[in-house]
Amino acid sequence: MNLRTDTSGDIEILIPSGRLDSTTAPTFEKALLAYFEGRPARVLVDFDELEYISSAGLRVILMAAKRAKQSGGGFVLCGLHENIREVFEISGFLSILNVSDGRDEALARLAPT
Amino acid sequence: MTARLDLELAADPSALARLATTLETFGEANDLPTQAVLHLNLCLDELITNIISYAYEAPAGHRIQLDLVLEGGLLRGELTDDGRPFNPLQAPAPDLDADLDQRRIGGLGIHFVKTLMDHVDYRRQAGLNRVTFQKRLSG
Repeated sequence: MNLRTDTSGDIEILIPSGRLDSTTAPTFEKALLAYFEGRPARVLVDFDELEYISSAGLRVILMAAKRAKQSGGGFVLCGLHENIREVFEISGFLSILNVSDGRDEALARLAPT
Repeated sequence: MTARLDLELAADPSALARLATTLETFGEANDLPTQAVLHLNLCLDELITNIISYAYEAPAGHRIQLDLVLEGGLLRGELTDDGRPFNPLQAPAPDLDADLDQRRIGGLGIHFVKTLMDHVDYRRQAGLNRVTFQKRLSG
């Protein structure tokens, strides 16, 4: 897995590519959870370049969603390809997480109202 | 036509990359549907990750054995390790209806295995953990 970061205003964007499994999840966890340390961050994870995710990656996503909610921040996912979306669906995550199709829609969801 | 795969993996994180490339090659050679290969990869990743994480005092030097047989659209397989006795199928099921606050972290890996495989079994035999599974690929 490789990780790129970007920003849009004060929204942090994380773009993992390749395979997110138990060997790469610790790197992803460190990068993602750091955003929520001591502040209500607004974070977007764009999965457009991700090829594969296992439960080790989903665990990190769930932790981030919980932290975002507890801290009053925001957390949205976008760009889930069919095989990634299927894994989210089997996990029951599509009903408890904020999932948008594309990045523009996700950014709009995170924008202050 | 019968196709077989016999793969011995080191019980360390390098196993997952090797598993992925080996299954991809096996899938291409036998014209398997991409989604089936992906499901197989995910299930075996979860089982192997469990073994590496929990089965040994120290995983160094231990091996995990994967055997696959593809026959008439039915894929049968067995994953064997020499770790401490551990039945992964006894892991508690995740609560898929819980809301975000109540949802507990963990338990998804075995849920994938039970959902994506048609049949899974565990037995302890001769000091080995043996997980057998089946997946119907066509028909």
